[in-house]
Amino acid sequence: MNFITLAVKNLMRRKGRTGLTILGVAIAISVLFSLIALNTGYEIELNREMDSFGAHILAVPKGCPYEAASLMIHGGVIPKYLNISDLEAVRSIDGVEVASPLLMYQFYKRDEATGQNNPHIVYGIKIDDMREIKPWWRVEGRFFEDDEKKVKVVGRELAEKENLTVGQVMPFGPHREDFTVVGILERTGDQDDLLHFLPLEEAQRLSNKEGKITTISVKVGDLGRVGAVAVEMEKIPDIQAVTMTQIMGTITNLTGSARSLLMTVISIAMVISAFGILNTLLMSVNERTREFGMLKAIGASGLDIGKMIMAETLIITALGGLLGTVMAVAGSTIIEGFVKGMLPYAPLGSFIHITPELVAFSLLFSVGLGIVCGIYPAFKSSQLTPMEAIRGGLE
Amino acid sequence: MTAILEASGLTKIYRRGREEIRALKEVDFTVEEGEFVSIIGPSGSGKTALLNVIGCLDTPSKGRVILDGTETTKMKERDLVRLRREKIGFVFQQFYLIPTLTARENIELPLLFSRKGERGRIEEILDMVGLSDRGDHLPGQLSGGEMQRVAIGRALINDPKIILADEPTGNLDSATSRMIFELFRDLNRNGLTLVIVTHNLDLARQAEKMYTLRDGQMAGCERPDLPGNGRDGRR
Ligand SMILES: Nc1ncnc2c1ncn2[C@@H]1O[C@H](COP(=O)(O)OP(=O)(O)OP(=O)(O)O)[C@@H](O)[C@H]1O
Ligand SMILES: [Mg+2]
Repeated sequence: MNFITLAVKNLMRRKGRTGLTILGVAIAISVLFSLIALNTGYEIELNREMDSFGAHILAVPKGCPYEAASLMIHGGVIPKYLNISDLEAVRSIDGVEVASPLLMYQFYKRDEATGQNNPHIVYGIKIDDMREIKPWWRVEGRFFEDDEKKVKVVGRELAEKENLTVGQVMPFGPHREDFTVVGILERTGDQDDLLHFLPLEEAQRLSNKEGKITTISVKVGDLGRVGAVAVEMEKIPDIQAVTMTQIMGTITNLTGSARSLLMTVISIAMVISAFGILNTLLMSVNERTREFGMLKAIGASGLDIGKMIMAETLIITALGGLLGTVMAVAGSTIIEGFVKGMLPYAPLGSFIHITPELVAFSLLFSVGLGIVCGIYPAFKSSQLTPMEAIRGGLE
Repeated sequence: MTAILEASGLTKIYRRGREEIRALKEVDFTVEEGEFVSIIGPSGSGKTALLNVIGCLDTPSKGRVILDGTETTKMKERDLVRLRREKIGFVFQQFYLIPTLTARENIELPLLFSRKGERGRIEEILDMVGLSDRGDHLPGQLSGGEMQRVAIGRALINDPKIILADEPTGNLDSATSRMIFELFRDLNRNGLTLVIVTHNLDLARQAEKMYTLRDGQMAGCERPDLPGNGRDGRR
């Protein structure tokens, strides 16, 4: 026999209570685990999304709020436009390496399978500029030329959903003209997978926005000059320049309060569970004082008793931590769905990042929780004199 | 014969608020090696107080205790732990067995604290207390008498110099009590020193010496030496 088996046997005396305490710890740890996984994953996913946009500065129509600009990152459509002439003005600014115009519009199409009207987003682009912004783009088939008519490239996911193949001719636009799918983008893992890409002029024609663009994505040569270029861009009357840093800041602000609420939830869950454990421990220690007296009489030292209590606590919290981690990993998609619904801006990808470090952290944390909660009851019972213990006087 | 326990001038004062309770008043008490001693006395006379003080579970307010040649009264808790571990075996009225440990594991428990690895004596002790076939039973599956036998086995495992039992038969019926006393007498015949507190005069008379405590004072010592005890010739 050793202290661990003794502790286990002691815990078995109150199976129900032990089980509930373990479950309490498990719930607290799984909340902690999920929220930390979400929080770090969120940041990673956000950065990835920013990178995948490829640009450093976004020129948007004046009066377009940052929030709307942020939404544009994954295909939100704003009802204000720039003129194509603004593009030349931006290009002439010193330090601008690429300026890629973009016209976005949205249309709804009935989905044959579900009968629902689904939104589709169209990007009108200058292909060479776009490919400089997104050098990782690969295509099955080919890209279109800027002056081609009635051609389009589609995202991979869209192609799969709509059963599109390269070379396929399909009716498209308000007058149901015959468009040819000349290429399908290879999977990028971001919003591009869901888009229709058209030559800029075709997009303008179909949406009746001749000479208009929604935004200009700008890449600068020297990252240190992003701020200066943005200031120059703002001098153009129509344009408001938004840097990626600002967009990140806006998104972080938007989600900040929701995330700090989550953190508060974590802390409260931890405190409640810590007090729950402490309460259970004190209860079980109090009702066993006479037995501690017996243990002292048969040769246990105060330290031995403390060790026994500590072992019991650690077993509870370690098992709780293990169970909680398993619960969190198993339930991560459910939790992610719930949290995504709560956040005003959620990246498209899955942002629960479960790393070995996080698993190790949550297990260590539960052991730490055990030490914190166990130390007082263990100390208290180790300090009992045999006489106090025998007479049952702990309080 | 050498005295294994020598207590002289033992006084124990408990304080309850302003009130002072003199549980023991200048008690002198000696136990020789190999003796079987019983202590009787009315409730509240200080029997438990005396047993706890000589068993190093409590400190006297005055007086001194010499156990196996060493004075325990001024010892530090650390040394007292060792003394309790090595020299004293306690048996209580309520058995205090751990319900989720088997009889064998309950008997083994003191070894966990004394860090003695050898467990060879466990079977021998199970046999000694008459529980060879009950080693794997949980306390809940044992009768009261059997549970007390387990507790006695637990007191024996560290090979103590002296067994102190506080009303060991207080929770048992008279037939079972007699059997437990039989066991004590067997153990004593094998050389063990025993001090047993009891309310049962008949059982107390089976000891070699029977002390009576009254109101915190030693009121007398009898040598019952009943015929048929089988120990008549020993003194
Ligand atoms: N911790 C304590 N605080 C105050 N008084 C105490 C304490 N322990 C014992 N006493 C008192 O000391 C006296 C002797 O108590 P003790 O327990 O030794 O009696 P006892 O002879 O064992 O009685 P019983 O046969 O009922 O067990 C009693 O009056 C009791 O109330
Ligand atoms: Mg008593």
